[in-house]
Amino acid sequence: MTVGPTVAGGLKLVPETEHDWILLIGIAGDSDSDLAGRLAGLMDEDSMWDEIVAPELAEEFSKQRITVVKEVMRAKEEDDEIHILKGSVDVWYGALNQARLALEDKYKFGAREEVDPKMFEDSSARAAYFRNNFYSHVQGLLLQYVMVD
Amino acid sequence: MNAVDAPVHETQTRTKKKSGKPWQVVVLDDPVNLMEYVSHVLINIFGFSREKAKELMMAVHQKGRAVVWSGNREKAEMYVNQLHSAQLHATLDRAE
Repeated sequence: MTVGPTVAGGLKLVPETEHDWILLIGIAGDSDSDLAGRLAGLMDEDSMWDEIVAPELAEEFSKQRITVVKEVMRAKEEDDEIHILKGSVDVWYGALNQARLALEDKYKFGAREEVDPKMFEDSSARAAYFRNNFYSHVQGLLLQYVMVD
Repeated sequence: MNAVDAPVHETQTRTKKKSGKPWQVVVLDDPVNLMEYVSHVLINIFGFSREKAKELMMAVHQKGRAVVWSGNREKAEMYVNQLHSAQLHATLDRAE
């Protein structure tokens, strides 16, 4: 897959193999539908966060995942490139972040320098680690080229 | 909760509500959110300068947490809501 900035101020993803498409479709599959609940767990009971705020956040996060999957499926069907422009960058960044937060929650990778080499003995953890790095790399490019302050 | 515990909890809650100390919005460290993204979110939500946002982001990274705003509870909850929407780990705390 080729990933790079465009003259329009966006980021272009150009999948080249079936594996690339699977990787992109997997963004939603890696995501955790209970992120809003886990964030609510950081708040005290007085806030009633889990009853008032968490449902709205859960819906927002769900929309991010659905939007990204739909765009990937559209591009796959049309054998097209994926362009992430300023108007949709928050949705893409959010979906990638959800995937990384869920992978971290499941595999406990920690900081890159803290990764336990024994983890690579487990093929699913190894694959998840590389997906996580890919998502992180795309996020870095989005920050650098699209989410410019 | 048993019958003995209940009054203690109520007393503690009332004491917290009566205190005039401001509420603090605290951002917590996590191994996922990229440092540049944390700065980006702080700039967008609080209007911090790039330097101030970076200073707070580094405090989160190095100390595990940083107070990014303090004031009344209602506004503090609004800010935490925005931080959660950006998927940062954040909570409310009472100033000491």
